Amino acid sequence: MKGSDRLAFPFLGGLGLLIALPALAAAALAFTEYSGLGAPRFVGIDNFERLIGDSGFREALGNSGLYVLMSVPLRVAAMVGCALLLHRRARGSGAARAAVYMPTVVPDAAYALLWLWLLNPLYGPVAGIAAALGADTPSLLTDPWGARLAIVMMGVFQIGEGFVIALAARRSLPGALYDSASVDGASGWFVTRKVTLPMMAPVILLLAARDVVLALQTSFVPALFLTDGGPRRATTYLSLFAYRQAFRYFKLGYASAIAVSMFVITALAIYAQYRVAKRYRLLG
Amino acid sequence: MSTRWRTIASAAIALVFAGPLLFMVLASLRRPGMAPPDGFELLPPDPTLDTYDFVFLFIPLWRQLANSTIVSLVAVPVTVVVASWAGFAIATSDQARRTKLVAVTVVAMMVPLTALWVPRFVIFRWLGLTDTLVALMMPALMATTPFYVLIFALAHYRVPKHLYEAAQLDGWSPFQIWHRVASPLVKPATFAVAVLAFVSYWSNLVDPLLYLNDTDLYTVPLGLRALQTLEPQNFPLLLAAAVMATLPAVAAFLAAQRAFFDKTLEVSP
Repeated sequence: MKGSDRLAFPFLGGLGLLIALPALAAAALAFTEYSGLGAPRFVGIDNFERLIGDSGFREALGNSGLYVLMSVPLRVAAMVGCALLLHRRARGSGAARAAVYMPTVVPDAAYALLWLWLLNPLYGPVAGIAAALGADTPSLLTDPWGARLAIVMMGVFQIGEGFVIALAARRSLPGALYDSASVDGASGWFVTRKVTLPMMAPVILLLAARDVVLALQTSFVPALFLTDGGPRRATTYLSLFAYRQAFRYFKLGYASAIAVSMFVITALAIYAQYRVAKRYRLLG
Repeated sequence: MSTRWRTIASAAIALVFAGPLLFMVLASLRRPGMAPPDGFELLPPDPTLDTYDFVFLFIPLWRQLANSTIVSLVAVPVTVVVASWAGFAIATSDQARRTKLVAVTVVAMMVPLTALWVPRFVIFRWLGLTDTLVALMMPALMATTPFYVLIFALAHYRVPKHLYEAAQLDGWSPFQIWHRVASPLVKPATFAVAVLAFVSYWSNLVDPLLYLNDTDLYTVPLGLRALQTLEPQNFPLLLAAAVMATLPAVAAFLAAQRAFFDKTLEVSP
């Protein structure tokens, strides 16, 4: 329709104001020293030099990397798995779809408080169930790997958006495909592996790429509420590290350099996934 | 897979995802001042709602509920209009423009928001928006998330093309066609996006954490954060507040979930 693209202008303007402009501002501020008072002072590449030598930054980078490696495969598997099991109209599947989305609707702060209760080693339900099964009382949050695992586990339940995208993708596959497969007498698992998953591959890749980006964000609130970045800084992710530099120590220039590094890392991660996908011909 | 197995799988999934939320309610029913349980218990002895009253003694929850409501009342309608327009534009533009718009939308979905925290804070301060509720409403200008634009694009795409063509022949402008033809036909998508947007503003912790100092402006999630710093070990109290923060979001979602799952996601009509 002629001229209908004009209706996208407010959205595009919003993207300009809230994404493009801040991205440029981050790139500019990264070369300055700025405490929020007075004017930013140009310092050249000092911030980036400091960043490379900063062991706290390297640690945060490593923690975020571990989080991505543990969380993204689990989350994407959960999104796609739930979508494949629940895409049909069947008894109970409607309620189950709503249940899958439910933890995503719970405010992050409330959800974090719930997990603090669930994992609390003295009388929390997880410890209680472990004790009933005769296992040791897990003190997840006081152990570095336990804390990392706990925060990953929390995230596996909050998959609503990816789940509905996978659901829509599964429903868009032509039913005729499955009729001919069932005439040929193919088993369910065979059809899933040879027909459904390859047809959904582009969407699954999109979900994975998006989840790498989201991982920087989703790990922030749990780390703030459950572990305060600990124990022994094991859950100080890039987001929490940048947040503290900016809003606790007021090093806005330095925090902008961290933001720029986040853009670079995200772009590299997405590009790497794109290359892998191309190599294995997953993009059709 | 047989129907019976699918039903069992559905029940198992529902239990796994909804189960933990049940513990939030159960543990909030403990009588205030009662010693913590000696080991695991499902339901506290003689359950009561008294702890819910106590929350109001620790944090000004009414005021925080009001602040959260104000933010949603402005941000949700703006989000819906911006997203619906953009989705309509994607669905009705010619091939070349559509490809560009979809590309921009998908790229915007891939931007790490955490990288924008600091520069947005700096820009909002220059604009004098920090320590105002307006700062929390700003994302509505970009439809809150490009995901909502894609939901609307899908919905507008399913409107039969001949309806648009007929309206064009009558000399209607794209805005009129959106307003009078498309919008009434994509009501389920509008409802679904409105609810998702409400939930996202209601739940947002990060934006108020970054932009607000004034405790009078605190929204509900920041109230929970404040309560946690005041009473870190008082789980019944923390969970009672968590339940009250969660209820509006869950209620809105349950009201919209049929529109969302059954109508919005159908790709073929």
